[in-house]
Amino acid sequence: MKSIKLLMAMALMLSISTCFAEIKNAKVETVHIYGNCSICKKTIESAANVKDIVQVEWNKDTKMAILTYDEKKTNQDEILKRIGLAGYDSDKFLAPDNVYAKLEPCCQYERTGKIVAKIEDVKTVILTVEEKVVTPILTIKIQGEQLKEVFDSYFAVKDALVKTDGNLAATKAASLLNSINAVKMESLTKDEHAEWMKVMKDLVFDAEHISETKDAGHQRDHFTYLSKNMYSVMKVSKQETPTYYQFCPMANKGKGANWLSKENIVKNPYYGSKMMGCGKTVETIN
Amino acid sequence: MRLKSFIVFFKTKAIITVFFLFSTTVFAQKVVRYDLYVKDTLVHFAGKEKRAIAVNGQIPMPTLTFTEGDTAEIHVHNQLKEETSLHWHGLFLPNKEDGVPNLTQMPIRPNTTHIYRFPIIQNGTHWYHSHSGLQEQIGMYGNFVMLKRPNDPSFRKGIDDLPTLPIVLSEWTNLKPENIHRMLHNANDYPALKKNSVQSYGEAISAGHFKTKLLNEWKRMLAMDVSDVYYEKIFMNGKPSSELKSISGNELKGGDKVRLRISNGGASSYFWLTYAGGKITVVANDGNDVEPVEVDRLIIAVSETYDIIVNIPADKTAYEFLATTEDRTNSASIYIGIGIKQLKSSLPRLKYFEGMKMMNDMMKMNGELDDMGMAMSLNQMDMNVVMYPEITGDAKPKQDDNDPNRYNANALGDIVTLNYAMLKSPTITALPKEAPVKELYFKLSGNMNRYVWSLDNKVVSEADKILIKKGENIRIILYNGSMMRHPMHLHGHDFRLLNGQGQNAPLKNIVDVMPMETDTLEFNANIEGDWFFHCHILYHMMSGMGRVLSYENQMPNPLIPNPKLAQRKLFADDRKFHFMAENDFATNGNDGMAMLQNTRWSIGSEWRIGHHVFHGYEIETHIGRYIGRMQWLMPFVGFDWRYRKFGIDEQETNLFGQSNSKDLRSLFTVGVNYTLPLLIIGQAEIYQDGNIRFQLIREDIPITKRLRMSFMLNTDKEYMAGFRYIVNKNMGITSHYDSDMGFGAGITFSY
Ligand SMILES: [Cu+2]
Ligand SMILES: [Cu+2]
Repeated sequence: MKSIKLLMAMALMLSISTCFAEIKNAKVETVHIYGNCSICKKTIESAANVKDIVQVEWNKDTKMAILTYDEKKTNQDEILKRIGLAGYDSDKFLAPDNVYAKLEPCCQYERTGKIVAKIEDVKTVILTVEEKVVTPILTIKIQGEQLKEVFDSYFAVKDALVKTDGNLAATKAASLLNSINAVKMESLTKDEHAEWMKVMKDLVFDAEHISETKDAGHQRDHFTYLSKNMYSVMKVSKQETPTYYQFCPMANKGKGANWLSKENIVKNPYYGSKMMGCGKTVETIN
Repeated sequence: MRLKSFIVFFKTKAIITVFFLFSTTVFAQKVVRYDLYVKDTLVHFAGKEKRAIAVNGQIPMPTLTFTEGDTAEIHVHNQLKEETSLHWHGLFLPNKEDGVPNLTQMPIRPNTTHIYRFPIIQNGTHWYHSHSGLQEQIGMYGNFVMLKRPNDPSFRKGIDDLPTLPIVLSEWTNLKPENIHRMLHNANDYPALKKNSVQSYGEAISAGHFKTKLLNEWKRMLAMDVSDVYYEKIFMNGKPSSELKSISGNELKGGDKVRLRISNGGASSYFWLTYAGGKITVVANDGNDVEPVEVDRLIIAVSETYDIIVNIPADKTAYEFLATTEDRTNSASIYIGIGIKQLKSSLPRLKYFEGMKMMNDMMKMNGELDDMGMAMSLNQMDMNVVMYPEITGDAKPKQDDNDPNRYNANALGDIVTLNYAMLKSPTITALPKEAPVKELYFKLSGNMNRYVWSLDNKVVSEADKILIKKGENIRIILYNGSMMRHPMHLHGHDFRLLNGQGQNAPLKNIVDVMPMETDTLEFNANIEGDWFFHCHILYHMMSGMGRVLSYENQMPNPLIPNPKLAQRKLFADDRKFHFMAENDFATNGNDGMAMLQNTRWSIGSEWRIGHHVFHGYEIETHIGRYIGRMQWLMPFVGFDWRYRKFGIDEQETNLFGQSNSKDLRSLFTVGVNYTLPLLIIGQAEIYQDGNIRFQLIREDIPITKRLRMSFMLNTDKEYMAGFRYIVNKNMGITSHYDSDMGFGAGITFSY
């Protein structure tokens, strides 16, 4: 009995020593890493670990990771950056959006660390400052800015469809809805206002439908009409940089369909990678 | 970065006001003076203490800033133990201020001071670097910024008044650059091993690409990468990672825009530039304004400059601006903004075997490239897209072989990549119409296996200066017939790159020409002198890839008192011999070789020393000259000495029945080497006694990442086969069987 205990103690000591003998100049730290499940755990740890230099243990319940690393060879930032590049936020790094988007559905943790671009805040500041200087040119510029939000959200939907990413298109369409609803009609120019009244209902209808499905095919059907209506608003609204009206003859079951783009290069939102370059610019809207 | 030498910054601005008495207006001419102290230093950039060169105690060299209209006065104090020089890259200046040693001035000798003085007559983002030897690789690069005058009619609100950061990109290796240069010339695959891009037969088989590899070697190609040198670190302004939180005292916040003035001061690396905070707006290139163009990414060629604008989309966040080497093995970042760091995804590893397959398709059996009817130019078609997972997917490309867009990154991927056709000058750049036109055509040529780089298969020392006349419009057409891309740089002038933008063709001083591309550029010859036109990859330039454009009937350069001597020193760069040696200490004997090679010549000896006289001692020496562009053919003369103790009546006969019974042989020989498909070297040789020998050798067949195989057989009924396992860049473990000496195992040392 005694000998067994001794043996066990020895084995334990041995295992401890082998565990720790691996990493020299060891420094141990505990940090918060976002994530959900045991798949997350595997991804996080394999991204972080380096033989004989870094050993990371992540706990999926507490979301805390114990980092053990060779202080002379690496540092916390290097480790957390690797974890970030694998798709997981920490208090120091945010994962790239495209890497996060590729995580398994069960791994799509809530990204509380991410600060949403607060462009609105900045804009209100501009508005209050510029309102004092009332010249017609400036007001037009401010009104252009109003619709700019709508256009920018539209481009985000378009970019998502170029990637054939139904999830992303749905979220972007939801924010498009928000910016459509946020438009203050009284501050539009006469032309903008007239056009806006004509198409607003349809814009809302199509944006809603895109936001409610994850099927890119269905989204693209609505995107055809969304683009057409967006185009008629764009035509009468003055924007800082040109927009390109593009056309793919094969889309919409061979009837052809249009879309708007900030770049004078064709990235087809109706086919994505299947026929990325199909189509051409038919009009430049200045 | 920690520098051993103490950091001192010397900068004085002297303002000299000159009054023109006979004029009613008062002119203020501002002389801006910098003092640069060039000194050896020790750095600890990548785990080891190594020699570098610091200027005013810093790496990179200090940013020099001027405003158009100033006069620059730069005092260079050479405190090195060797010669130096400084070239002002992209500047319009008198030829004697251009800083090319032995061409526009004599080198700055140790412990002397040289003063460069020239008026600043342009604006934009440029840089400066040493043009002496390989000093640029170890620290001698820095930003050179020339601001617009505030009342300049080309001043662009929202661009020229943004908060700005100059960035110079560079690389660091713990190997001495002279050693890198030597290893490149000896086709040493150690850098490939470090980059995991050996592309051995074993790796080919497991990737399902055995046929690809076999065809590649059948076409006499060694495995290629998009770059040649392995670097331990990549820097932006001397740091692998840094933070930009404020510019001139103002903290950066959400909604701000920042202008980055980026120069690629790397000696041989191209960099992909990407940004975590959204699109990148390109506003200038090579110091010249372009119409703003929004892209997701761009590649910056060696020595190019780009001015870009990035947004900071939100508060409390710092966005990663990332520079990744073209081979994707390394990167440097700068985080722009204050707060949690938003990362940019890293570029995935290259699909090397797809690249090899593409090269096989392009390479004809005679070593010429075949563009299969695609007229390629301006980086619009990038053959390397077949290797980019982010454009062509993770697996095999789905594009079919006849898709006209199969190399067009912008047609295939969901992101926008900048190419030269998208650059448009905001002003009309047309040349004077009445000027006579002189057209020059250059084929960029090269030989990867022997690391020979040239124009029209001639290196600098083999070609005459190209004479041009002041006032002429010079049009240069470049075709790249080699397998690597080359950033071609013209000194002293900006040229228009004919890119389909008509009158608004962009002005540049570098054009990156990819394999099989043809680009046309033109400029008005308006400042006399001897101007260097060369590839800016340091190791290509030092191998002789360039020409001198020389104005006819120019005034002699006062800084070149002895033009003949200067020319000889200039030519010495590409005439240099590179040494390599190898010796295998094995149980059955000792064999090895030593070789000296340059662009055309090869002097080599091989020896075999058995452990006793029955095995014999033998040394063969050959002096040969490589012929042709591909250098497959090498006639040689040689001398062969051998001693071996034969038993009585014992004699050797070869396959032709010729016999030899002498213990001691010393014979002259003539022969020829020819590189056959599968990189087998066939050798035919005739000795002074009439004996003939044919031999086939193949060395260093890559079996796995670290295992190499060799074999030899000849008509003297000798044969050998062996393996070598590469331990590090100077050592290998070998085993071989040799018909003379039997089986043996040992250790090989190589240099
Ligand atoms: Cu240069
Ligand atoms: Cu080159």
